[in-house]
Amino acid sequence: MTDALLSARGLRKTFGGLVAVDDVSIEIAAGMTHSIIGPNGAGKTTLFNLLTGRYHPTRGVVVYKGRDITALPVYKRAHLGIGRSFQITNLFPNLTVLENARLAAQALGKDNFRIFRLATSFDSYIRRAYEVLEITGLREVAALPANTLPHGGKRKLELAMILACDPELLLLDEPTAGMASEQVPELIQIIDRIREQGAKTIVMVEHNMSVVMNISDRITVMHQGRVLAEGDPRQIAADRMVQAVYLGELYDLPKGESA
Amino acid sequence: MIQKQNSPIQRGWLRRNALPLLLFAFLVLFPFIVGAITDSSPYGVVRGDRMIMRGESVRWQSVLIEAYILIILAMSYNLLFGFTGVISFGHALFFGTSGYVLGLMLEYTAIDTTLALFVGAALGIVLCGVLALVIGFVTLRLKGVYFAIFTLAVAEMFYIFFSRWQLTRAEDGFAITELPAWLDPSQSRINFYYLSLAAVILTFVFIRRLVNSPSGAVFKAIRENEDRAQSMGYNTLNYKLLSIMFAGMLAGVAGLLQVILNKKVGPELLGVSYTVDPLLMTIIGGIGTFTGPVIGAGGLHFLDVFLRDAQINLGGVVIDIANIWALLLGVIFILAVIVFPFGIVGTWQRWQARRHRHPEKPLPDAAAGQD
Ligand SMILES: Nc1ncnc2c1ncn2[C@@H]1O[C@H](COP(=O)(O)OP(=O)(O)O)[C@@H](O)[C@H]1O
Ligand SMILES: [Mg+2]
Repeated sequence: MTDALLSARGLRKTFGGLVAVDDVSIEIAAGMTHSIIGPNGAGKTTLFNLLTGRYHPTRGVVVYKGRDITALPVYKRAHLGIGRSFQITNLFPNLTVLENARLAAQALGKDNFRIFRLATSFDSYIRRAYEVLEITGLREVAALPANTLPHGGKRKLELAMILACDPELLLLDEPTAGMASEQVPELIQIIDRIREQGAKTIVMVEHNMSVVMNISDRITVMHQGRVLAEGDPRQIAADRMVQAVYLGELYDLPKGESA
Repeated sequence: MIQKQNSPIQRGWLRRNALPLLLFAFLVLFPFIVGAITDSSPYGVVRGDRMIMRGESVRWQSVLIEAYILIILAMSYNLLFGFTGVISFGHALFFGTSGYVLGLMLEYTAIDTTLALFVGAALGIVLCGVLALVIGFVTLRLKGVYFAIFTLAVAEMFYIFFSRWQLTRAEDGFAITELPAWLDPSQSRINFYYLSLAAVILTFVFIRRLVNSPSGAVFKAIRENEDRAQSMGYNTLNYKLLSIMFAGMLAGVAGLLQVILNKKVGPELLGVSYTVDPLLMTIIGGIGTFTGPVIGAGGLHFLDVFLRDAQINLGGVVIDIANIWALLLGVIFILAVIVFPFGIVGTWQRWQARRHRHPEKPLPDAAAGQD
């Protein structure tokens, strides 16, 4: 594939003696929804941290739009259009829900050093913040401190913040982590809406297999820091090794689709 | 017609700001109010052809000027610590540096006194800003504790240097003898009183404006979660540099006022108490609130003033409060932190928020205030 938006070659990350990510190569095609699955500790979050620049790889390169970004710090990658949400909720806890979203909307603008204007006088950021709160159903609680939201609300705010940044490439690390199962569909709907808006590339780590199978154009399976398999949902579901290592009996193909 | 249309808005503004406006009016009139109560002149006592700074009004002006200086210092500390989440143990560095620059300019150069004053003040403040940027640039990449230790080390280094430097008379320091008459607190205390009042108000307004600006929003984001701020695209180092630069310059302003008030420059300006005091005052008043440092610094200073000369009689043993002031301060601090876990203002704000919110909705529980 030459039209990869983001690609990594030979990525390796060690923590002391532990190899968290081991020789991982991956290509994310533009416009696709690409899921990464694998058991806990497989190295998915670490891979995200390498792709977004939070960690620097022990070895290997990361290329975005044909440019080597391996040495680029996190904030510069954000300016190139890479945004992420976090598995472990990562908000500004004492600021209001609105302020969390507004900070995200303001982040890539050109007004961050206008110290003689009030932050609230920039309508476009506030409008954008309300927009994403509307999409994520958080408008009613906009004035509450973020840490007062229930867990599901915090997960939605995670999504709202990445939406407000409006990145080209979204890396979503277990967006439904810790949510009650009846709340999951609402969140998936939000992700669906992002996908429908088009022009977005999504890389998603997710454990809910029916979600993964339905939503993904492509799936990469990781295990013990390595890429175990890659393919479209049907190929992955049929892959014996994947079945043995990870899927087991957890997932059966929807009726009528089994090969 | 137009006035009539505007007046309800103006009245609304007046009502909303009634308390600060009353306080402002009180502080402006303060020298005269004290003068009227104690039957003393706010301008001092006439002695031949000059004024002697004697009397209750003049004495109380000094007390307030001291409070203003501490408030400016605490507010500048709060900008960095309370709003940006950066803990410095070297704030005295800026306080003392600008003081020394001004003193050297006034006493050790041959230029005209008024010019030396302005150049010295400007140079002192600018140097504080540069020093803050250099320290910040070298160390703000470090994690919290290392940064704090580094600032402590630099401040101590300056302290040791100035307590040995023979040119500035080492530990003794030197007196400021040349000041323009209009500013000299021993010739016209009231002029300096108003200058200090203006400085404290301008600092307050400036910090509030800065914190409410887009950059200030990022300061708070860094305090809350620097990692997340970076992942959204903020180069957080730049914002921390901005914050420490302004904090350093404002602490420098406080240092200038201190030197003029006491007409003396010495290494004590760089001493650790000018770091620890604003830290304690900010915590007691409420970190990350606008009025917290004002109440913390003002309150502690007045306690100090009222208790300074007091004595307590414990079963026949007379103890001077002055001798146990540090101990007392420690006790006050511990009590304040127990009674007001978020500082006086922070705790009060939370209490207000609780009253105005639906009881079934959960409450904020983390450390920092809401403004
Ligand atoms: N910062 C870190 N320090 C040390 N070990 C880490 C760190 N981050 C991740 N690990 C380890 O790397 C491995 C992969 O973790 P992670 O990437 O979080 O897996 P996943 O997201 O697939 O569950 C785990 O064994 C984890 O303990
Ligand atoms: Mg993970």
